[in-house]
Amino acid sequence: MISMDSKVKVIPCSGIGKVYGLMAREAALKTVHELCPEKSEPVCLAWIVTGDQEVKDKIEGRDCITVDGCPKMCASKNVSDAGGIVVEEIKVLDTVKEHKGEKFGSASQLDGCGEIVVSEIASKIADRINQEK
Amino acid sequence: MAEFKVGVISCSGEECLGGTISRLATRKVLDELKMVEPVTLCLPLYLAGGKEERNFARVYPVITVDGCHKCCAKRSTEKYSGKVSGSVDVSEIIGEENALDRKTVRNKDLTAEHTRMIDRVAGEIVKMIGNISPDAYSGKTFHGCGCNGE
Repeated sequence: MISMDSKVKVIPCSGIGKVYGLMAREAALKTVHELCPEKSEPVCLAWIVTGDQEVKDKIEGRDCITVDGCPKMCASKNVSDAGGIVVEEIKVLDTVKEHKGEKFGSASQLDGCGEIVVSEIASKIADRINQEK
Repeated sequence: MAEFKVGVISCSGEECLGGTISRLATRKVLDELKMVEPVTLCLPLYLAGGKEERNFARVYPVITVDGCHKCCAKRSTEKYSGKVSGSVDVSEIIGEENALDRKTVRNKDLTAEHTRMIDRVAGEIVKMIGNISPDAYSGKTFHGCGCNGE
């Protein structure tokens, strides 16, 4: 069993305005709960950005994988600013581009193709985690 | 209708169920409320210095929706844009034990019980929106730039 401290932190942007933020969130949750529960854990991005010492201690100097839904890269920037080591920046749009013309759902709910893309992104995150551990 | 706006900022916390409920209740209000135009502000972008988001929150009323007692969305919003018009702590509605349940659910795994929680929290958000002064919806009640004199 890997200790909580040594687990890779997976932090999505969870952007709420567009479907890509939801895809980032769902892919991160699928990874930490279904694909790599022993090796990874989520950390609240909203908590990270408060600058609270407790969450700083949790990610400072730790391996983190960020998952961003748009080019503003809020998760990656905020995690770096808080001292996390971003070993991989996952961009949802990189995988979305491989599915040109498809519909993915809305910011509230994914449809069938949205779920497929989420699974692909989650696999990429899991592959990276397995390289680390 | 377009000029009657209210911002709703959800923590969308990824570590516990309360974050998921906060996000889905916020989305429900955005998708279904018709009296005023609710606008969601992306919290990470807002905190990363998104100018449009911060300016919106300085001019229009904002309700924050937090999944747990840490109230990250409320604290961060007040730090950058001044006092919020209302705040919802999901843990006070669904109970702390439920809110802090670390088995965050994905949307596809929601149960009827989760849906009831979402409905209750969404109802609370709507109630708070209803308590805001009508002038504030149009941006007339400018409540300070939030710069704290700097």
